[in-house]
Amino acid sequence: MKTNLTHYLQKYSIYIVLAVLFIACSLISPYFLQSNNLINVSRQLCVGILIAYGEMLLIISGFLDLSVGSVLALAGVFSVSAYQQTQSMLVAIAVAVLVGMFCNLINGFFVAQCNVPAFIATLGMQMAARGVALYYTNGQNILQLGNFVKIGQGTVGPIPVPVLIVIGITALIWYIMNHTKYGRGLYAIGGSRSAAEASGINAKRSIYVSYLINGILVGFAGMIFMARNNAGLPNGAIGYEMTGLTAAIVGGTSFTGGIGTVSGTVAGAFIIGFLENVMNLTGVNSYIQQVIEGSIIVLAVAYDVVSKSKKSQKVIIVKEAKETAK
Amino acid sequence: MKAKKLAAMVLSAAMAVSLAACGSSPGTSNDTGNSSGTDAAEGAKRVCFVARASADTFAAWLTSELKKAAADYSDIDLTCVSGEADDNTENGLLEDCITKNYDLVIVQSNNNAAQAPYVKNLVDAGIPVITTNPTTHQSDLDGSDNDSVMEGTGTVDADPMEQAKVGASRAVDEIPENANVVILRGPSGNYHAEKRREAWDTYFFKERPDVTILYEDYANWNSDEALTLMESWVQSGKHIDAIISMNDNMAAGAIEAIRKNTDYVSADGKANFLAYGVDGTAQGCLLIKEGLLTCTALQSAADLAKKNMEYADKVLKGEVKITDVNDYVDAPEINAENVEEYIQMYVENGEISGDGA
Repeated sequence: MKTNLTHYLQKYSIYIVLAVLFIACSLISPYFLQSNNLINVSRQLCVGILIAYGEMLLIISGFLDLSVGSVLALAGVFSVSAYQQTQSMLVAIAVAVLVGMFCNLINGFFVAQCNVPAFIATLGMQMAARGVALYYTNGQNILQLGNFVKIGQGTVGPIPVPVLIVIGITALIWYIMNHTKYGRGLYAIGGSRSAAEASGINAKRSIYVSYLINGILVGFAGMIFMARNNAGLPNGAIGYEMTGLTAAIVGGTSFTGGIGTVSGTVAGAFIIGFLENVMNLTGVNSYIQQVIEGSIIVLAVAYDVVSKSKKSQKVIIVKEAKETAK
Repeated sequence: MKAKKLAAMVLSAAMAVSLAACGSSPGTSNDTGNSSGTDAAEGAKRVCFVARASADTFAAWLTSELKKAAADYSDIDLTCVSGEADDNTENGLLEDCITKNYDLVIVQSNNNAAQAPYVKNLVDAGIPVITTNPTTHQSDLDGSDNDSVMEGTGTVDADPMEQAKVGASRAVDEIPENANVVILRGPSGNYHAEKRREAWDTYFFKERPDVTILYEDYANWNSDEALTLMESWVQSGKHIDAIISMNDNMAAGAIEAIRKNTDYVSADGKANFLAYGVDGTAQGCLLIKEGLLTCTALQSAADLAKKNMEYADKVLKGEVKITDVNDYVDAPEINAENVEEYIQMYVENGEISGDGA
């Protein structure tokens, strides 16, 4: 009975942290539970969640993307510009997605074909994509977005459009991760690439596909980001790669690869989102917020890691005891 | 293997093209990519503009305007480089200016205190220095209370106290009694951010002790940070009567957070709040036209650029001593009555489209 409880506590530790945080936030601020506030938090998290899914896919297979913020800005400003010239949302979406995919095709090429460390390849893309965005816009914001803003500010009934987009994409990513050969292959590659390849998984193709999916997600994130801000911001989303990485890792994605879930990533994003929201509601200075946020993130992940390592130690001890008994 | 060879060939080709491009542009002596594009005469004086960051909207605008202004001086060869919002990078660029022995350097500091010793090195090397947006003060160098322009340098700047005074003075009469306000601040330690905030204390809060500051935080000049803050702040349940922002960018972000909120903007588009910015950006002007931003004060990069080049030319010709360069651009108020003329200005420079809608 006790073992079962411990097992569940360990397995669902991140959701327990989220639930405790949710209760704490509702006690700290009387405004936290207001429906408007919860809708706000959901809307604010949309960009971060999309980025986090991309990072999750890559981290599970043992890679990462440091170019997310810059590619997001590039895809966003190109998309805004395309919309202004054509007044077509379909063209704007196509441009955002294609820009995101193109940048990530280059990332994938260097990582998969040339074995350049993902850290270096995507760091280079981070600089290059930001440079192109600034060059294209001459460093200035693009204004007068017209109906483009609906993708970030619009609602269907009470539900914000970006939330609906994220729900749709979440279902798709969940399906890909759990019900496709590619999804299962990612975990195998992250666990051991050579073993995965020996078992017939085409690792190179999986890496390409992961970066391309990441590009699609970043393209949508770029559109939502610009629409929310009612401007094409070439200098926007600086440092957003850390937002995505943090949500994925807090959500239980292992930096060593092979471990990670969609629901965990969503939980990770909400832990950070609730934390930021309650501190804003209570008027905590943003510099102090960074200190608190940093500390809580480390503590949450440490709890998760320690509880899981205790579990594996316990398994080893039990195995050893059984072998001794034999 | 084939792919590796292909990658190596592509990279080699890219490097060769880059090197060829660098080598084929005499007179544009820079390492970081931006040059004035002016056809400087042989023997022209070499001026370097060290910008704060290319990703900074205002710095990018100032760089662009300096290039335009430099085109009027055939005997000046302007090189523009950027510190990319990193003190170490900017300090390195200032050191490079000594190595390259420029005839004059215009410096837009990222962080006054961090760049001050390197500005002094330029002065010690005998290179005239104009600090601009913001001014580098003696206090930035030695930590004293001496707020005069740093010894041996000149300055062309906008006065942040005067800029913020424009909105603060109006607000004394406009903001209702016992109002709740929120304040959006620029980066901590930034001279213009701190002085604009100080101006609001001096010209508004001392006059209006009845006003409550509901929330105040740093949004670091960024509209996306201001948007997130404001989305949370409006949940307090208390009506926010005024947004006091240290620049237009942050004001725009905060306004986006409440644009669809009927407590703040009625169905016919009438705003039930006041909002004050600084900079007079194109976005700020469009918001004034919409009736969502109450007023702003123009910080014209074009005026700053013209004055910088004018004084650089005079100093290089020996008509003016560098230490006598001490000029400030005006901070005209932009409001609902005169916004059309400023929108026209932005339409003419191509930043917004013809109808300005």
